[in-house]
Amino acid sequence: MGVLKDLFAAVKGGANEVGEAIIDANAIRILEQEIRDAENAINSSKQSLTRMKSTDIRLKREIHALSEDVKDYEEKAIAALEAEEESLAVEVAERIAEIESEHNEKSAEQAALESEIDKIHKMIKAREHTIQKNKRELDKVRTVKELQRATESVSSNFAATGTSQHRVAKALERVKSKQQNWQDRMEAGDWMSEADANSDLDAKLKAKGIGNSETGGASDVLARLKAKKGG
Amino acid sequence: MSYVSPPRMLELDMDLEELAYRLNAFQGEEGTTFDALVTEENILEVSCSNNDEFPIHITTTETQILSVSPLFTTAELEPGNSHELNEIFLRLSPAVPLSSIGLQGSTYILFGSMALDTRFENIAHELEIQAENTVDVLEAVEHLLA
Repeated sequence: MGVLKDLFAAVKGGANEVGEAIIDANAIRILEQEIRDAENAINSSKQSLTRMKSTDIRLKREIHALSEDVKDYEEKAIAALEAEEESLAVEVAERIAEIESEHNEKSAEQAALESEIDKIHKMIKAREHTIQKNKRELDKVRTVKELQRATESVSSNFAATGTSQHRVAKALERVKSKQQNWQDRMEAGDWMSEADANSDLDAKLKAKGIGNSETGGASDVLARLKAKKGG
Repeated sequence: MSYVSPPRMLELDMDLEELAYRLNAFQGEEGTTFDALVTEENILEVSCSNNDEFPIHITTTETQILSVSPLFTTAELEPGNSHELNEIFLRLSPAVPLSSIGLQGSTYILFGSMALDTRFENIAHELEIQAENTVDVLEAVEHLLA
């Protein structure tokens, strides 16, 4: 199931409302069910796997033991032959044959088991992929549904969802005038703090007696008068 | 059940109520503030101080936070302008930072999406931008509305 494919088909078909018609509750239920089924299957697979693995370990041990037995008896058979105990050697050989047959049986069993285990691993992996894929599909479905819900939700701000004439234009005007007010206040604030800074500066200069027009002016005048008087 | 399920998709670090609470308490660098409330339909409605006429509706999925700014309906278009509007929106959408333009049913929207584990400061920033974008986008197509 491809959510996007369904959506595109609906839009192509001229559907104005892409909503419940496409994303019906069933789609979500089916996806969720598939995910649950896959998770359950993985669960029981993992339990089987555990059982199989322990059988596998046991078999490998038994096969190894049998191999050791064969080696052991082979040595004994050779020893018997060297001691010219023909009939004994034959008995040992028969025994070896029995063990080897058992060994072959168990090896075949173990090989089959190993292949089963491998198959189950692959199946678990495939199921996990399916789960991830379904979860992504589900998320797409939910996204479509949530987008629709969020779009259609009636705002507590009536200006946003009314249908009065020039609704958008009026709302934009209000926004811009608020921004302008804010900006004016900001600028006024700047101007105020600039003015403060300027008067600070003047105070500093005055304190140092720099550019102080009063005292400078009077002493300049006196100096001029003295000069006049002198000359 | 004793098995370990495959890694679950992340859950929202904070739910919508907590997000509303933090948005209400937030102050941005340029003095931006939010008014946030969670509606009965479990949708978080946010007004940004830079644009309080067009609120943003926020919901979540298992992996994302979705923020939708409804713009206007097809009924609010001057008849005959829909083709031009659609083309402008298509050309405009990639240029809009962080937000995309879309059509849901018969409502044009601006929308954004964020990962569920997005840091709060980034969520606030994106919402601020989305509110700003809303004004810009509307101004761009105002002349096509009835």
